[in-house]
Amino acid sequence: MSAPLIEATGLSKTFTSRGVFKRGRAVQAVRQVDVALAGGEAVGVVGESGSGKSTLGRLMLGLLPATEGTVRFDGRTLDKIPRAEWRTLRRRMQIVFQDPYGSLDPRRRVGAQIADGLAIHGLVPAGEQGRRVGELLTMVGLDPLQAKRFPHEFSGGQRQRVGIARALATSPDFLVADEPVSSLDVSIQAQILQLLGELRRDLKLALLFISHDLPVVRHLCDRVVVMYLGRVMEEGPAERVFAEPAHPYTRALISATPRLDPGKRTKRILLPGDPPSPSDPPSGCVFRTRCAHAIEACAGAVPALRAFGEARRVACIRAEEIA
Amino acid sequence: MKRLWLPGGFVAAILLIALLAPLLDLPNPIRQDIARRLSGPIPGSPLGRDEFGRDVLSRLIWGARTSLGVAFASALIAGAIGTMIGLVGGWFRGIGELLTVRLVDVILCFPPILLALLVVTLLGPGAATLILVLSVLYVPGFARVAYAEVLSARSNDYVEAVRALGAPTGRILLRTVLPNIAGPVLVQFSLAVAAAVVVESGLSFLGLGVVPPAPSWGLMIRGARATMEQAPLMLLWPCAALTLTILAMNLLCDALRDWVDPRTPARRPRLRLVDRLLPGLLPPAEPKPETVLDVSGLTVEIETPLGAIKPVEDVSLSVRAGETVALVGESGSGKSLTATAVMGLLPPAARPAAGAAWFGDRDLLRLSEPELRRLRGGAVAMVFQDPMSSLNPVHRAGDQVAEAIRAHQEVSVADAKARALDLFRRVGIADPERRLNAYPHELSGGMRQRVMIAMALANRPRLLIADEPTTALDVTVQAQILDLLAELKRETGTALIFITHSLAVVAEIADRVTVMYAGQVVEQGPVAQVFGTPLHPYTRALLGAVHESDAAPVGIPGVVPQPHAFPTGCRFAPRCAHAIAACSAAPPPLEEAAEGRLVRCIRWTDLAGAKAA
Amino acid sequence: MRWFFRRIATCLVLAWAVSLVVFMTLHIVPGDPAELLLSTGGIAADPVAVKELRIKLGLERPILDQYLSFLGGVARGDLGTSLVDEFPVTKEIALRLPRTLELILAGTLLAVVLGIPAGTYAALHRGGLFDRIVSGAAALLLAIPVFVVGTLLVLVLAQMLKLMPAGGYVAFAQDPAKHLTLLTLPAIAIAKSLAAVVFRMTRASVLDALSKDFVRTARAKGLAPSRVLLRHVIRNSLTPVVTVLGLHMGTLLGGTVLVEYVFNWPGLSTPLLRAVEARDYPMVVGIVLTISGLFLLINLIMDLVYAALDPRVRAA
Repeated sequence: MSAPLIEATGLSKTFTSRGVFKRGRAVQAVRQVDVALAGGEAVGVVGESGSGKSTLGRLMLGLLPATEGTVRFDGRTLDKIPRAEWRTLRRRMQIVFQDPYGSLDPRRRVGAQIADGLAIHGLVPAGEQGRRVGELLTMVGLDPLQAKRFPHEFSGGQRQRVGIARALATSPDFLVADEPVSSLDVSIQAQILQLLGELRRDLKLALLFISHDLPVVRHLCDRVVVMYLGRVMEEGPAERVFAEPAHPYTRALISATPRLDPGKRTKRILLPGDPPSPSDPPSGCVFRTRCAHAIEACAGAVPALRAFGEARRVACIRAEEIA
Repeated sequence: MKRLWLPGGFVAAILLIALLAPLLDLPNPIRQDIARRLSGPIPGSPLGRDEFGRDVLSRLIWGARTSLGVAFASALIAGAIGTMIGLVGGWFRGIGELLTVRLVDVILCFPPILLALLVVTLLGPGAATLILVLSVLYVPGFARVAYAEVLSARSNDYVEAVRALGAPTGRILLRTVLPNIAGPVLVQFSLAVAAAVVVESGLSFLGLGVVPPAPSWGLMIRGARATMEQAPLMLLWPCAALTLTILAMNLLCDALRDWVDPRTPARRPRLRLVDRLLPGLLPPAEPKPETVLDVSGLTVEIETPLGAIKPVEDVSLSVRAGETVALVGESGSGKSLTATAVMGLLPPAARPAAGAAWFGDRDLLRLSEPELRRLRGGAVAMVFQDPMSSLNPVHRAGDQVAEAIRAHQEVSVADAKARALDLFRRVGIADPERRLNAYPHELSGGMRQRVMIAMALANRPRLLIADEPTTALDVTVQAQILDLLAELKRETGTALIFITHSLAVVAEIADRVTVMYAGQVVEQGPVAQVFGTPLHPYTRALLGAVHESDAAPVGIPGVVPQPHAFPTGCRFAPRCAHAIAACSAAPPPLEEAAEGRLVRCIRWTDLAGAKAA
Repeated sequence: MRWFFRRIATCLVLAWAVSLVVFMTLHIVPGDPAELLLSTGGIAADPVAVKELRIKLGLERPILDQYLSFLGGVARGDLGTSLVDEFPVTKEIALRLPRTLELILAGTLLAVVLGIPAGTYAALHRGGLFDRIVSGAAALLLAIPVFVVGTLLVLVLAQMLKLMPAGGYVAFAQDPAKHLTLLTLPAIAIAKSLAAVVFRMTRASVLDALSKDFVRTARAKGLAPSRVLLRHVIRNSLTPVVTVLGLHMGTLLGGTVLVEYVFNWPGLSTPLLRAVEARDYPMVVGIVLTISGLFLLINLIMDLVYAALDPRVRAA
């Protein structure tokens, strides 16, 4: 693998609730996560609510300051970059959001919002902006004439296309897509996924695709990272992880996903109980309280994310036994 | 918009008159003429003269100038300072927040008039003192509004997006945040002006506001009050002027608020009882004894400003004891509305316009509300999509389940609670004794849905309708709930109607499936057959859009049409890859393709043949 | 429980902040406060009198010293003496406060008793005759300033129709019937805007609750309409009503000053207004502190009621 475009090392984020009289309860949203993306590579981050996957995306973009650890982008450490330079770097890393309604400013025409990035970074002369916005709209499958419209005149899928156009306006190298299809209907989901797949190939984007749904990332991503309660459980090539999950959590997740074809259905592993609270995670392996294979040693040290087979890593001390 | 014109015009007129007062040919408002003291209407003084013989009309108009001048000046000062404080506090949070918003909040601990009196004691009465006091009084209001709006704007993805684009803070605050908080700040401004008029007049009335002889409505009322036995009309003019002005301003505030916060105005509901006694329902079909529920030709109609729409049209489905029938479709397909119509829980504007829903020998669509009530939660129960909003946040989970038992059975509170405990155990709630006394917000999403299921099972229903019961849940929790439902169904033999948008969930849980599109049934049959050899192009496209097979999913172009824009012919034709001219010509009928299999497509035989060949 | 103590602590901090603001007001006004207090209409005050007042108000001492003795006085309930007649401020307040409290209580009770049922009924029959008439009346009531209502009540009921006394006060022990008669008009005047506010809020929150998912659940359970209404609609609608009651108390307390003045009700406002006119600073400070303290206390009670109604608040 070539040198990574973006690389997170030992990344942690702790949120503490503020208040004059409140005793702060620390929520450890992301803990000791290492992720790296090569230029043009697509990595899926999969996890259920409370897994810290969205926080990870924002940390990698520098939109949230990390509590611990570093993010290096193109060889430079993010929090060491001077403010002014930061802004120019922003051009190269963009985000697409989940909620197609909250992610567009309701009071401004979509064309103006797409042009924002062009104007902020002075990428195109003012007279050229309209033409470039038109190009971007065409690229995401919309009519250039729709630039004059307001967000409420679009359907959910179309808004998501506008959001993608806005993110692509600055020609970024790295794009974080935070659950971009989960609030869309099935038939529309597939449209947007197709579009993202094509754009990624054509524009050679490094893509961090965040999703709660394993099958969604399967076709789009080269590699997949499975998260649970702020930690990485497993990482590897998407097809392989999907076909032969190594971590008990990944197995449970895949077996819990409803399947269309009864023939492909594996024996369902039902996880007992609810996920523990991220403000009070279990000791040792965070998954052990719901794991069918947990032994005493699991409660001891936090299992390291170690190599497992070719190009795969897993954070489970019993991965080989179970497999 | 219409509501803005009347009060807006009135306020504008008052403002104009007050502004133009010096240009109007009015008698001097402070020149006394004791000889004509308290005279009624006389030439040159249409409203008469006051206790010092001053012209009342002139004093009213000049008084408006004083009152509104003070009010606008203080609202402007307070607005500028307060909005800035709110912006800074909301954007920078932390210390900035403490030093700005929290600090000015202390002002709110004083009843407004009292703080004014404190300052008047020190500085003495007068318009300048008033403006100072009122500005201070209204700063926290603006700060709070701006602060709250900045916070909510901050959490919006579109602000995050601009941040991600690398926009400098100043540009974000000015271009993105300020325009989005301008509405509420404007509303606050109009509120502050109205409130300032009230406080100014009140203080002047007490003799502690505007200093006589300057004209002010409060002072006029004070003066007229002393002589109200001789000249009650003198009292009426300033009272009316003051009240009308404030009324107009309040109405303007309300209208502005509605305009700024355009939540769709709910239509006035028509009376349900009248709706229930509908003429024009189809002649009832015969009850079918072998089914638990048999819905035939159900059409739901909603009156909208654009005319009546039919988001559900001619829907038929049936379910037998121990069977699970899935109702699947995308948003806007009418699947939830079908279920609520059967339960008699349609929103007020909607009504069943045709069809029948036979539950045993009773047609649910024609039952009276008391009869329906005895069935609901009893023999027919329902589980909803979002367990958080579907449970009442202020009552304990166990009480809400016990309440359902007591609604249908004559048992004591203690017995009902004991049964609720049993139910909690049955739906697999860990630590049921403690969870019985928990409030909904203390439970996890999966646990809440279990409580909802316990509630639905409380009276051993023969039919359970589950409306997207797992959509709001995580995948592993969804698996738990699906498992629980399947198990309960096996044990009790309850008929289950399962509404979902997920085809994979249907494949997991259902025996038969009804696929809906744009308010109509497009295909119906046993799950294995429908998913194995789909007949309708929509079903086929939907299956192809699922990330399941080894091939990448393929989207369906276009969007589901809105009910007021349903195509006249086949509703799927505009998005269908196989559509021909005939498809759009006339609505296709629902045909029986095979025993127990229905399809609504005029080309299904061609397409099936083409596929086979 | 932690929530409860936190709320009490907040209340104490606010009370301290209020006393600080009151203390600082004297010192942040431009110029010499003693001179300001003695000047009338721009005529300079007599320097000897100014010096005397400075000593009396303790302005000659270091500011920290002044503040500590002020704070100590407030804590002990000693608010100094009147500049006019040397009468202890605390004594004057103790005499007058119960009468003001009675008025506030009567007004609030009246507003709640009228506002909540009317609001609920109007929401259930939205768009009906009752709803339209009462909603219109509420808008009008909100627009008429409290002293205008008071004055008009006196004009119409007392002066013109001679149905009610124009104002005054008789102790309850002396003549209960007369006491209550005299209480009626001021209580109505005080209640009018609060009733309108409570009506509007109840109407809005009942309408809101009616569209909630849990009300649909309650109906899906097969509960009787009366039970759905009481346990699931009204019960849940009360929380915003309590909030708005607390918010509106400031206006109500301010309104009390005006109402007492209009109806000659010898509560706190008589000495307050007299003191403002006479620039009797200690008396004004004492009464302002008392009423603000009352305001904080009412808001604390409202918050406790709110927490009793909504379990989520206790957890937050």
